[in-house]
Order: sequence, then C-alpha cells, then structure tokens
Amino acid sequence: MIAYNSQSLDNLYVQEQAEMAKRVDCITAEEYNAIITAHPAVLYTPNPYMRVGIFILTAIILLFSFGFFCLLSMSGGESAFTFLCLLFGAGSYALAEYMVREKKHYKSGADAALIWGAGIFLLSALGIATDADAPVWVWSCVALMLSLFFVLRFADVSMSIVAHLSLLGLIFSGCEKLGSIAKLIIPFAIMLASAGVYFLSVKLIAVHTYRHYKKCLQMLQVCALITLYIAGNYFVVREVGNEMFHMDLHPGQDIPGGWLFWILTVMLPLIYIYAGIRKKDRILICTGLLLIAGIVYTIRYYHSVAPLEVAMTLGGLMMIGIAYALIRYLKTPRHGFTEASSDERHAMEALQIESLVIAQTMSHAATPRPDQFEFGAGSGGGGGASGDY
Amino acid sequence: MDIDLFEQLQKEGTISAASAEKVRTITTSRLFSVHWELKTILYLGVLLLSGGLGILIYKNIDTIGHQAILLAIALACGGCFYYSFRHKLPFSREKVPAPNSFFDYILLLGCLLLVTFITYLQVQYNVFGTRYGAATFIPMLVLFFSAYYFDHLGVLSMAVTNLAAWMGVTVTPLQLLSNNDFSSYTLIYTGLVLGALLIVAALLSHRLQFKAHFSFTYSNFGTHIFLIANLAGMFAAYDGPYGLWFLLLVAATIFFYSQAMKQRSFYFVLIITLYAYIGLSFIVVRLLMATGSEGGIYAGLLYFIMSGIGAIILLINVNKKLKTA
Repeated sequence: MIAYNSQSLDNLYVQEQAEMAKRVDCITAEEYNAIITAHPAVLYTPNPYMRVGIFILTAIILLFSFGFFCLLSMSGGESAFTFLCLLFGAGSYALAEYMVREKKHYKSGADAALIWGAGIFLLSALGIATDADAPVWVWSCVALMLSLFFVLRFADVSMSIVAHLSLLGLIFSGCEKLGSIAKLIIPFAIMLASAGVYFLSVKLIAVHTYRHYKKCLQMLQVCALITLYIAGNYFVVREVGNEMFHMDLHPGQDIPGGWLFWILTVMLPLIYIYAGIRKKDRILICTGLLLIAGIVYTIRYYHSVAPLEVAMTLGGLMMIGIAYALIRYLKTPRHGFTEASSDERHAMEALQIESLVIAQTMSHAATPRPDQFEFGAGSGGGGGASGDY
Repeated sequence: MDIDLFEQLQKEGTISAASAEKVRTITTSRLFSVHWELKTILYLGVLLLSGGLGILIYKNIDTIGHQAILLAIALACGGCFYYSFRHKLPFSREKVPAPNSFFDYILLLGCLLLVTFITYLQVQYNVFGTRYGAATFIPMLVLFFSAYYFDHLGVLSMAVTNLAAWMGVTVTPLQLLSNNDFSSYTLIYTGLVLGALLIVAALLSHRLQFKAHFSFTYSNFGTHIFLIANLAGMFAAYDGPYGLWFLLLVAATIFFYSQAMKQRSFYFVLIITLYAYIGLSFIVVRLLMATGSEGGIYAGLLYFIMSGIGAIILLINVNKKLKTA
C-alpha cells in the first residue's frame, strides 16, 4: 500500500539508529561506515528548512498554474471549473506519485504540497459540483476517504489529523440525524470514537507491519486524546449544545447530567498525566499538561474564583514552585525519571527557538504601552512612537 | 535505541559483540527525561507571574495595597537577582552554560520584574526624566547587561526588541508586519539602520569572539528587519524610484547570501531566497502592469510558474552544496 520502497525506509531507520549509536560512542566509525554501506537509502530528503521552502514554492506553482488554466477556460462556465478542479486534483496526485516513485522524494516538501493540493482540488470540485450545498456527512465522508488514502499511501502526518477530524465529523453529522436524542448521544459518541482511535493506534504502533506509520499513529494518539477531552468538557458540551440545539440556557443554568461532565473536565487530564507517568509515555504526559489549561479555563468561565491578575500571579507562583520542587527532587534520578536533558544535539537549536518565544511573549511586559504614560504627547516617549529619537 | 536491530547487526557481523553490549547497557539504563516539560512549566509560570504582577500594579494604582504590591515586586526582583548572582558561573567571553535549568527562568523573572519596576517609577514619578525615550532606554541597558553578564539568549532577544522599541519599531516576531506602518519613510529608514546595526553586531560578536553564540540572534533579527524594511521601501515607492530600492535589495541579498553560505545555514538561505523572490516578483508584476495589455496577465502567471520551478531548483542545488561542503 505504501508508495515508498519499504526496503529503503527500513534502511533509513537503520541509518538513523546507527547515527544515534555513533553519537554516544557505542559503535566505532568503521562499524558505522560498514552499516551505512550495507544499508543504502536512496531517498531524497532535504534539510527541514529547504523542505519548508520547497513546500511554499510548490504551492505557488500549483496555484498559479490553476489560475492560468482558469483564465484559459473562463468561457466554459461552471462545469468547466468542476472539470478543471478534478483534472488538477488528479494531476497533483499523479505528480506526487511520480515524485515519490521516480524521483525518490521522501518528506521533501514537494510531496506534501502536492498531496494537500490534490485533496483541496478534489474537495473544491465536489463543492462546485454541488453548489456547496452537500450535507456535512458527504463532505466528511469524502474528506475521510481521501485523507485515509493519502495516509496509507504516503504516511503523511498532517493528513492523519485530517482523517481523524473528518471521522469525528462523520459521526457528529450521523448522530445529529437522530433528532432530539442527539444532544445526549453526541458527546458520548465522539468520546467513544476518540477512545477507539487512541487504543487502536496504541495497538497498531507496536505491530511490525505498520512500522512506517509510526509518526502518523503517534499524531493520531495526540489528536484522539485531545478530542476525547473536548467532547467531555463541560464548557464545550454546554455551549455547543446550547448553540446547536437551541436549548435556551440562561447563565447559571445547568445542563442535564452536568455533574458528569464536570467530573470528566477535571479528571481526564489528571488521569492522562497519571497514566503517562506510570507508563512513561510522553504523549500522555504532555497532552495532560496541555489540557490542565482546559480545566482552568472552564472553571474560571463559570465560577469567578479570583480576578484574572490575582489568579495569574498565584498560578504563576504555584507553577514555579512545582517546577522547582520537581527539579530538586529529580536532581538524582528517581523511578527512572531525570530532569537532565537527554539529547544535547538539539539543545542549541531549541535554545534559539526558546529565545524567540521569550521575545514574542515577554516583551509586552518589558515594553510599556504608550497609554500607560502620563506625560502624554511628548515625542520620544513610549513604545510605539515616532522614531525621532 | 533499538536493541533487536543491533543484535541483528551483530549476528550479521557488521558490529562487534562489545559494541552491541554497549548499546544494550545504554538503552536499558536509559532514563526518561522530563527536562523540557519542566522547562515549559517554569516558562509558563514566569509568564503568568510577571504578567499578573504587571496588571496588579496598574489596576491598584491609587489604593493602599499599591505600596505593598510595589514592595513585593521590588523584593521578588531583588531575590531573583540575588539568586542569579549567587549561583552564576564565572563570566567568560565564551558560552557559559547555566548552572541548572531553574537559573535561566529565575534570571528571566528578575529581568521582567526589574523592567516593570523601572517603568512604573518612570510613569509615576518621572524618575529618569523625559528625554531620549528614557522609559525604554534604561530597561534596554539593564537587559543588555544581564544578557551578556549572565549569558542568556532569551534576555538578549528581549533586549533587542527593546532596542527596536526605543528606536520606534516593533520587532516581536509576530507583530513585525502587523504593528508597523510601513508606508512611513521614517519607519523604513529606521528599520534599515536598525537591521544594519544588528548585522554589524552579529559580525562583531563573531569576529571578536565575544559571546560568538549571540551572533545568530543578532543576525536573525537584523536580516528580517533589514529585508522587510527594504521591501517596504520598494512597495512604498510604487510610483517612484522603486528601481533604486531593488538595487539595494540585490546588493543586500548578495551580501546576506555569502554570509549564509559561510555559516552554512540552511535557515538563512531559505529566508533570503523567499525575500528576494518577493522583491523580484514585485518588480516583474510592476513592469508587466506598466505594459497595460491583457497578455501581461498571462505573462505574469507564466512568470510565477516558471520562477517557482526555478527557485525550487535553486534551493535543491544549494541544499546539495551545503550538505557536501
């Protein structure tokens, strides 16, 4: 099913492992060279930055070629556009196949751009053909089939997100048809589907046959954990239900079975973190930590515990305190956990990104806004300003 | 590492038994690192705490609790710097590693609180006078000093954005395009000067071997600011001497490109190529529009298709060159 040569992908894996082993001085340079020559990988994978550039440029080429043909077929009317979209969809896909099979592109940026192009063109063809009037389940169904096919064929990580979301869309629109009982069922149907996807990917990731899909399955785990939480979150259930089924809830009014969703809202992230620590599973730990923000947001939305700035100050203090305690506690590794960084190779690069994030998020505290100044219109005052310094 | 794989390799005779044993020991004794998770929690904590205190101070500006908050900020700030001075490793011109992962964030918190404090004093009591944009100038000095003295890339980035704010430009990564009015020539010239200044700083850090690892931060900000200001100048001179701006862009591209090749940086090659591509496309579209004919539209579309292919081939070749170099 997969478009790439399976042997090449295996060899690539061996090469990566050998490089890791060489970096920690487990194998000698001669052994490393012997492994590389015994396992040649002919795949073309440029540097990640080049990959981004090639992706953008391929998208530009696709877009303008489409524009060019649109101009040529302007007189043909709507059916011509449908045909053109279909043609471009099929063409992009054929080109992606060609790049992968003949040119041996593997995660080169061009392949991803062509796959996405193919998907978007084919869906546009559907949209134009039905006057954008097709029911949701048709859209989700087509999107699911396309993205699932692309995942299986190219092992593309971003497409696995699309596949998961369109599966949920399909279930959502299916349940909606059930009428008044829908609003009771939908949260549980989505949660059940998410849990199913999660446990299925956990199972499949250990199977040797699916080794080339490892990254897709990991991404599916993250997505499934997040959608499982969202579907059970009190805020989402209440507000979406209110919006979609016109429940006319007043502020302070509870939804049926609200206590159950409150329990899910608060407990799920904690369960994720606990299970992650028990199983040493980074995906569970990180998703759980991320979703703590969901707990805080939901509680604060309905119960104003403290003014925002007080909550921020106290929350910040608490987080620094917890991190400090954990760093002290794990200074000497315990229970197989350590606070030391495991991979020094990317440390410098990570620091650069970290510094950019700091510049982006913290400078607001550092640079005062002009409206905080009392000395008014003087030139040269303030962070915005005129440049006549 | 995959133990089964290395056992297989040992059976095939590619690696020795001793090497396979080493792999086995390292893999089985490998610990689960929560380094980046803890750092993220610390980062968020510092972000929330400094943000919360910053709002608190301004919300309570005329109440009794005010002095207490001010005192708390001063104490916390003093505590952070006390910790930083106590635990820091001796100063050196080279890269100095942080003594522990807690250190970096305490220093960051200290700097943020100090800036809040100084800004407050300036706003309320005008302590530093109103000349030369003192409200941003003094925090900038503090940040640059801390960045060099304690060797902290994050504080350095904040210092650079502060320098830019002092000069009148917003350069936080996401607001660079949205927050600046690039139709004003004052801003464009300021941007060019600031960009050039940062590039010089990057070159000097490298040449003098004084905190050479800071040069990436400088040249990253510098390259983006300079090229965006240059492109903005070209767009602003839509009916004017845009050709001159284009010549400047060509010169800048050649210079930056040679620097990027020297540093063997894929990242810089990519962003320079994209900026140059935008500039070239502007010129081509502008010239085609001047012809005013319908054929111009077709020629324009064809140009984008062909130039896109050309740029991809260029990137692929540079990739090859940098890899083998």
